[in-house]
Amino acid sequence: MRHLRWLSILFITVLVLSGCNGFTKGDSAAKDKGTAESDGKVVLDFWTFWGSEIRRPIVEKIVEDFNNSQDKIEVKHTFVPWGDIWTKELASIAAGSPPDVVINDINATALRGEKKQAENLSKYLEKDDISENFYEELWNATLYEGDSYGIPFNTDTRVLFYNKDAFREAGLDPEQPPKTWDELWEFAEKLDAKNGEKYERIGFYPLFGAGTDVWMLNADKVNFIDEKDEVKVNTPEKLDALKWLKSWHDKYGANTINSWQSQMESQQGNPFFSGDLGMLVQQPTFYTQIRDYAPDLNFGVALLPEKEPGNGNTSWGGGFVAEIPYGAKNPDESWEFIKYLTDQEAQEYWAVKNFDNVANKKAAESAADSEEFNDAAKTVYGLAVEAMPQTMLTPTPIVAPDFPTLINPEFDNVYLGKKTPEQALEDAEAKVQKLVDQNK
Amino acid sequence: MTGRKRFNYKTKEGLQGYIFILPWIIGFIVFTAGPLLFSFAASFTNYNITSQMDFIGLKNYEKLFADDQLFWTSLYNTLYYVAFSVPITTVGAILLSALLNRDIPGMRFFRTIYYLPAVLSGVGVYLLWMQLLEPGTGLVNTVLAWFGIAGPNWLFDPAWAKPALIFMKLWSVGGGMLLYLASMQGISKSLYEAAEIDGANAWQQFIRITIPMITPVIFFDIVTSLIGGFQIFQEAYVMSNGEGGPVNSLLFYNLYMWKKAFEAFDMGYAMAMSWILFIIVFVLTIINLKLAPRWVHYEGGGK
Amino acid sequence: MVKSAAPKHSHFDTIQGRRRALNIINWVLLAAGSLLVLSPLWWMIITSVKTMQEVMTYPPTLWPDSWNWSNYIRTWEAAPFDLYTINTLTITILVVIGNVFVNSFIAYGFAKVPFKGRNALFAVVLSTMMIPGFVTLIPQYVLFAKLQWLNTYFPLVVPAFFGSAFNIFLLRQFYMTIPDELIEAAKMEGASHFWIWWKIGLPLTKPALATVAIFSFNGAWNDFLGPLLYVNDENLYTLQLGLQVFKGQMSTQWNYLMAGSLLVLLPVILLFFFFQKYFIQGINLQSGGK
Repeated sequence: MRHLRWLSILFITVLVLSGCNGFTKGDSAAKDKGTAESDGKVVLDFWTFWGSEIRRPIVEKIVEDFNNSQDKIEVKHTFVPWGDIWTKELASIAAGSPPDVVINDINATALRGEKKQAENLSKYLEKDDISENFYEELWNATLYEGDSYGIPFNTDTRVLFYNKDAFREAGLDPEQPPKTWDELWEFAEKLDAKNGEKYERIGFYPLFGAGTDVWMLNADKVNFIDEKDEVKVNTPEKLDALKWLKSWHDKYGANTINSWQSQMESQQGNPFFSGDLGMLVQQPTFYTQIRDYAPDLNFGVALLPEKEPGNGNTSWGGGFVAEIPYGAKNPDESWEFIKYLTDQEAQEYWAVKNFDNVANKKAAESAADSEEFNDAAKTVYGLAVEAMPQTMLTPTPIVAPDFPTLINPEFDNVYLGKKTPEQALEDAEAKVQKLVDQNK
Repeated sequence: MTGRKRFNYKTKEGLQGYIFILPWIIGFIVFTAGPLLFSFAASFTNYNITSQMDFIGLKNYEKLFADDQLFWTSLYNTLYYVAFSVPITTVGAILLSALLNRDIPGMRFFRTIYYLPAVLSGVGVYLLWMQLLEPGTGLVNTVLAWFGIAGPNWLFDPAWAKPALIFMKLWSVGGGMLLYLASMQGISKSLYEAAEIDGANAWQQFIRITIPMITPVIFFDIVTSLIGGFQIFQEAYVMSNGEGGPVNSLLFYNLYMWKKAFEAFDMGYAMAMSWILFIIVFVLTIINLKLAPRWVHYEGGGK
Repeated sequence: MVKSAAPKHSHFDTIQGRRRALNIINWVLLAAGSLLVLSPLWWMIITSVKTMQEVMTYPPTLWPDSWNWSNYIRTWEAAPFDLYTINTLTITILVVIGNVFVNSFIAYGFAKVPFKGRNALFAVVLSTMMIPGFVTLIPQYVLFAKLQWLNTYFPLVVPAFFGSAFNIFLLRQFYMTIPDELIEAAKMEGASHFWIWWKIGLPLTKPALATVAIFSFNGAWNDFLGPLLYVNDENLYTLQLGLQVFKGQMSTQWNYLMAGSLLVLLPVILLFFFFQKYFIQGINLQSGGK
């Protein structure tokens, strides 16, 4: 009984402390919502998943600058956890009370346009055509039937990081990274270091840091489902890529690969930092991890090697757009804010402070020369900017948004030795074709 | 006279019964019934949450049964998980609570320790387990190696991915343990004393006294973990990066449904899936309820 | 596991001796098991005190190079965790109160009061657990939006006062074990079921109520999806939402995430540790009742 008394005292204290917060539709709640005004300003709700110690101050500085740059609109930034932010956005759209601006996945922008989850921005673009500011591949990903449903904000690509000290040790020229798939193999053989049966250093494994699809794109330059909704899974180039990947898998064996792979997937401990991995495909922002977690690493970067000379260093990327959820109350003001967010000044600030690739071309190019970057940072950023024009996205096809669930298991079957690459691609093609036909 | 009085009493008692369950009835009508009916109705449409909801008859159901390989894959994976995880965790929780139900020093600490995993929840724990199940340097395989066992590749091997999740589930049997412990605490000590004098050993006492006395809770545990097992989602989602694991070995029913609902935005289809799952689980629960009188022992004599 | 007990040695042939032997075996088994159960926790603790640089080294270290307890302070300062604690406590306490009393009330009705349609309604109670939450998530959200409850704690707290299937079922099972004669006797004396529930039902099911309290506390304390969906204002965020700041899209601040998770875990563990005595109380009452 004494416990209960103690608990009720605690309870009352808590309620007093919280001031019944959360049970009143008080001033603060009213101010946040919709067109409610404070000082005659329109208040915009802006949701992002940037809540970390590093990113939050940067996005909030941009918001503050915007708020100070004019006197009609006040943006309020809210952090909503990564991934779940979009479930919440969707629910709020369904309920007719969405926020004003949300950062969302670029690859599914057209799909969200088609489903009426995002507002059509065409009427604003007719007045202010800003489409030229962005990389073409990014811009195209926002289009559904020719209309844009989101403005590209940031992006990424895949490049090759390599350990210069390991190169030297293996008798390779640290200034000459591999340029083709054959060279990758050749260099990896030299970089491999074995103690008996156990690998002490792996030269390279293409699927650490990149998926099967990235290499297929690198070889073929065509997505699994192209713009005309044609299925392009079983192509000669993609088959070559799969065979090539399988040969890497056989080279190191499942046990070695799985062990290292799970290490990297768990986002703790990275063998590249300790020099146990000679080369690794990663996003350019991986540089910040090297800077923070392995500052002494002597590394270089290069474009993703090409399948054979002349095939092109096609890489793969993604990114995010700023969009106005369908049914948002203040689209005109939201558009003003989005324009600011994706304009050169804000983009450059974001690029430099975050060491992140941005969608605005001019901002990306001037960031590469930023005085705030040291030599290593400049090199990586410059290379990323160089890779951007050759970087492809994988926009979610509207006819078969969930097709990866069908093809990934087929790739797994190849690596497990249960199917030949030929058989797997044939089966994958048939399954995707069936899904496309069903949905058409 | 007496008959009428009895009748009156019965009506009065019945009325009291409805008052007891009134909060639930109100809650059900206000909060639950609407969304349930909506999801049932929408399962006959092409509902995509935001822009369309046209009646399409039984098409979603037809497609599921006739034309969707992944539906069967996900159903198989889920049945596999339920078939192993429910018995294993039930037995595990009962044995553990039997050990924790003795009056020996340090018991409060032991109970707290074993309950700990049940308190830990969420994404962080699953990421932690990915680390522990790492085939090379992970803690699980390191410990297995001490006993000369070469551990499998767990989450990377389609044959071991589901057992890995079951193993992980076993780690957090603390929740079930708590239920059994609460139930065992209610068993009168005199029963054990009498059995001990009759020469029954610990195992015999456990089988003849403890087990029958906790059958109401075993029944509860089986029914609820069956229902919960069919809804396994988050661990599979996190530990396969939302992909469904090697060769879709972790593509559980709810994960596939989630992908349909929130990746393909085919919510009508997902709702049809949910009602098929409902029927499966409902039938299994009814079977359980029907079988219960044969083995569940209520001391109160109630049914 | 327990079978190996009761060795045939003459020294142990007395009841006392056998008991002692059993206790020792029991203790050893539990101690060994604890090590297994605790090893993931050890991983959390060492990760929480490492520098990120050490977290990222390969292979991972099982004993940290340096114990940076200051990580805990930095973790707590990374977000307004004081506020989040109060918010989470507010929700949790209300949910626990609702769950314990209301479910117990409802469960008594299902277990001990005969009325028409009881079994059918009970089947409906169970049914509500069987529909996956995703498909009711959107309509439920729309419903709470219509009630003007978005950005308040009402959607998180109010439903707890209208019963939850899991807890109703659990408590019903415990009420079923109360002898009917006890209730009949009280009825003979003219007591209503409400009086019986309050005076006999509640005290006799204390261990079960403690279980429900612990489960509800745990559930509300760790709830992520509820606050995520229904709370918009960051000043109303809870601990579980706060912990998400350490989890990014590309990389995770493992040391802070683990430190934060351990800090959030602590109150639940302490509560459990001290709450256990309600189990023990339960024994006396119940065996006294028989």
